[in-house]
Amino acid sequence: MAVAETKYLTEFYHLPEFKGLEGYKKNGGYKELVKALKMQPQAIIDEVKASGLRGRGGAGFSTGMKWSFLPKNNEPRFLLCNADEGEPGTFKDRMMMEKAPHQLIEGMIISAFAINSKKSYIYVRGEYDDSINALTQAIQEAYKAGYLGKNILGSGFDHDMDVYRGAGAYICGEETGMISSLEGLKGQPKLKPPFPAIQGYLKKPTIVNNVETLAVVKYVIRDGAAHYKTFGTEKSAGTKLFSLSGNVVKPGNYEVPLAFPMKDMIYGLGGGFKAGRKLKAVIPGGSSAPVLTAEESERATLDYENLAQMGTMLGSGAIIVIDDSNCMVQCLANLTHFYHHESCGQCTPCREGTGWLDKIVHSILSGRGRPQDIELLIKVADNMKGKTICALSDAAALPVLSFVTKFRDEFEYFVREGKSKVKGTAFAPKGDAHVGH
Amino acid sequence: MSDTNIKCTINGTELEVKKGMTIIQAMTENAQRIAHYCWHPGLSIAGVCRLCMVEIEGNPRVQIACNTVITEGMRINNTSEKVKDAVKWGLDFHLINHPLDCPICDQAGECGLQDQYMEYGKYTPEMAEKKQKKHKVVDLGPTVVLDSERCILCSRCVRFTDEVSKTNELGIFNRGDHAEIGTHDGKQLDNKYSLNTVDICPVGALTSKDFRFKQRVWYLKDSDTVCNGCSTGCNVKVYFNKEGLFRVKPNVNEKINGYWMCDEGRDIYKFVNREHRQLKGQKYGAGSWHEEVHAGVAAKDAGQFLQTAKADEIGLVLTGQHTNEEYEALLNTFVNTFKTKNIYHWWPQEPKAGEFDGLLLRGDKNPNTAGLKEALSKHGITAKWADLESGLKSGKIKQLVVIAPENIFAYNDMEQKAAFFAQAEHLILATSVKFPGLEKASLKIATIIPLKSYIEKDGTFVNFKGDVQKFKKATTVVNEALTGVELAQLLAGQNLQIEVVPTPELFKAASNTRKDQVTLDHRKKNEFVFNRGRL
Amino acid sequence: MFQLSEEGKQKVLAELKRYESRRSAVLPALYIGQKENKGHINSEVIKELSRVMDIPESQINEVFTFYTMYNKQKIGKYHVQVCRTLSCMLNGAEELTNHLCKELNVKLNEVTTDGRFTVSEAECLGSCGTAPMMQIADKYYENLTPESAMNILRGMK
Repeated sequence: MAVAETKYLTEFYHLPEFKGLEGYKKNGGYKELVKALKMQPQAIIDEVKASGLRGRGGAGFSTGMKWSFLPKNNEPRFLLCNADEGEPGTFKDRMMMEKAPHQLIEGMIISAFAINSKKSYIYVRGEYDDSINALTQAIQEAYKAGYLGKNILGSGFDHDMDVYRGAGAYICGEETGMISSLEGLKGQPKLKPPFPAIQGYLKKPTIVNNVETLAVVKYVIRDGAAHYKTFGTEKSAGTKLFSLSGNVVKPGNYEVPLAFPMKDMIYGLGGGFKAGRKLKAVIPGGSSAPVLTAEESERATLDYENLAQMGTMLGSGAIIVIDDSNCMVQCLANLTHFYHHESCGQCTPCREGTGWLDKIVHSILSGRGRPQDIELLIKVADNMKGKTICALSDAAALPVLSFVTKFRDEFEYFVREGKSKVKGTAFAPKGDAHVGH
Repeated sequence: MSDTNIKCTINGTELEVKKGMTIIQAMTENAQRIAHYCWHPGLSIAGVCRLCMVEIEGNPRVQIACNTVITEGMRINNTSEKVKDAVKWGLDFHLINHPLDCPICDQAGECGLQDQYMEYGKYTPEMAEKKQKKHKVVDLGPTVVLDSERCILCSRCVRFTDEVSKTNELGIFNRGDHAEIGTHDGKQLDNKYSLNTVDICPVGALTSKDFRFKQRVWYLKDSDTVCNGCSTGCNVKVYFNKEGLFRVKPNVNEKINGYWMCDEGRDIYKFVNREHRQLKGQKYGAGSWHEEVHAGVAAKDAGQFLQTAKADEIGLVLTGQHTNEEYEALLNTFVNTFKTKNIYHWWPQEPKAGEFDGLLLRGDKNPNTAGLKEALSKHGITAKWADLESGLKSGKIKQLVVIAPENIFAYNDMEQKAAFFAQAEHLILATSVKFPGLEKASLKIATIIPLKSYIEKDGTFVNFKGDVQKFKKATTVVNEALTGVELAQLLAGQNLQIEVVPTPELFKAASNTRKDQVTLDHRKKNEFVFNRGRL
Repeated sequence: MFQLSEEGKQKVLAELKRYESRRSAVLPALYIGQKENKGHINSEVIKELSRVMDIPESQINEVFTFYTMYNKQKIGKYHVQVCRTLSCMLNGAEELTNHLCKELNVKLNEVTTDGRFTVSEAECLGSCGTAPMMQIADKYYENLTPESAMNILRGMK
């Protein structure tokens, strides 16, 4: 049986006209908004909760439950769409915003109606110029057509939406980091408690949801929670867009039901490897997810429980596939450099720890590793976990722990011989690769 | 269980705390030790140092104490191995890029990193990579020097300039471990409260230009007193040893100054040190200065002039710089014994007395104007300064007693006044500082009597609001100076025993030293080792 | 002395009114200032923005130094940012960067002698499926080879 995608959200993505309002409406656009505006807001929240929809940005928290944390009064609240897609390996939100901006907008208006929010922002990372333009135009079209603004479609519900451009900081993908950035500050995460649903943007109740999550809301309204649960498993309901990249022949975004076998993703949809290469490792959920060996990858299924049970996570659904021509030490050095560059610097374990890990791995990479460095990496990473304001520290520590544990032989070889077991050389340090940093 | 109090247990001790209190507040208010850097009771919560870890029963992970509100029945501890390990690693992360500057760093001896290292550290460091390089010896402004490598980015100073002084000079620039405190574009940290940032900096990143490299802090003793820089009356500590006084720091007083003091007040130790002081009594007559005399003798001799003079010929000049006890004694002598009402209030700051900068600084640069005014009114004194001017000009006032102010920075008209007061036939100048302008003034007959400064006596100040503050003697600087009370008694003709402190006993801490102060008495012999390298 | 054009100033003032908090305008304002100052921001730009917006300089500077898309030093007419993160590295990003630097005879982060290009490395740009790739002036160029990338650059005057 040929392995195929399930084009649920992405059903009409192949039509260029789907991007514009007319093409969107022709293919079912804004029908669900009409339906939702006739429902009770609480009913929408209940339906989303019942659907089992979990945050598609990485944390996987039940969306309906997050919405229900909001205060049950008339205090003004904000809906923020997290389009700061920065997790390495992830590029699904970009496709959604470029190809189907109205789908996101409709999902957002329905969600805003459900949580009684009169204002929403789409925080888009600064590099996504095409997405920003697409959304800006789509929002203008929506206002003109009466889907945004005062008394939407005569329902009495007012809603305004705007786009905010980020400026290059992975940490702004963290919900409170994003809120700080939207407030015009450095994108540094805020202490929790208080949680955003109680005190978020400008100290008002705020809900932060991922692009994909908000788009799904439209479909939960269209087909009902029960239908959404026919995809996936009990705890991992629905479909998800997975961003497949790395050494596969056919990288790209693929929508499949949750619990889809990883094997089928790599070899089926991904087309396997170039001649002479074979699978070595997979990072299943964005670079912050612990790495899986080839053997583990081939028996994994793409759902929250299975991957958690295997000691990793579904995360953002970014699947980075590494073949056997690559040196794991070099791959890890690439990631430690990333986290070192992206740490916001606010709290000490992350600020200093990401730098320390990066320096140790690069010492090993340049052939100057010491035997105690491997244990040191594990100790440092271990003590960066669970002690910081946000999860970037954990996100930096987990790859280090998993790479060193599962590919320890490569690290030991490098330290002992001063060169890579796979590539046969050391790698000279390049100095700081970023302009001005 | 009351509405506002809840019960909790911290390190085995049951405590009742106010609702809404965080764990760290409860611990610091109940004398429980907890490691921390970024938290400060006078600033907002940052939660960035991650050192104040506690274990809360029922919670698998350690939590920070500064941002966790206590709930009913919470059981908290910070003595378990889990917590100690978490703090040790938190400290380790602080130290991996920290330069080994202790030998040249002012903060040594009162450094947060040193303190926590002795308690939670003492491990073999494993950081073998190159440390981050940042800017050293950055001139931040007229009062503060920055060393970015030492900075642990606790953000206390930034929060201070945002929330307390509201001047927004400081910021944290760059991301990650390139982050540095600083001002932007050559701007200066130049506000009237800048030195508080040095106080609150847990490490030696911000140091005071005035104090830099002057003294090792473990050779200093500190004593509580009240600032005499203005009418706010901030509670302060003065630090001193045998070489003199070195610095002033604020003491916490929720009602009066909170946690802070102004920069002007930092200078109040300067006019107390010996180089500015009138050390011995002096007499001037027939065109020249005579041999120095003991203070008590000078006062007694001066008193004889006053006792035989007509009441109308006597004048007394007072400032708001002295204590209630001294005013009472002096007014008693002059009003009751000498029967004169020619008592004048020297108050050059009067036009600006109502000024207030919104935080602590007031325009009246005297600590006890209120006390003086009350004493004057109690004794029915209504004389005006103009009366003194006419009295001196006409020669009516022959014996003029001036109790000089000690804050020479706040009185910028002292030289003029020297010439003004010299008009009197006999000027009796009781002063703690060397009164500027005496050499140039055309003195006729003068008696100079050394006075004790505010830190050398017990006393009471009343601030602008009427708050009465008692303070105790901190130490002795001048061997034989008199208090105003002793002066009043001697002038009136009483016989007194005046204590003369022998020089080796100067600067010894007085009775208000805390019990936990290290006095280094057993190291007397080596206390001068630091004195410019001479053994 | 850097000064915003009248149009730029109006744009900044419009941003100040656009959001619930005036301070939110700092990020858009820095973009506007950067555009008018030939692609980079220095203390003069910050001073001017602070004056126009009435926001303390240090607050604007904090934001400026925090985010990567605000350039702290002069860059060439075209800022060639090659993604260096894992998926791109697995598909030859490093070779691509080295090739570009060699062909343009320029070191990383410096400006070519003709002032046209600066080559630097960026972290994950969200184009992992079309690696290796580069971003030049808000546009993505994907599925590159060393040769195809050089051809694109040669076409940029």
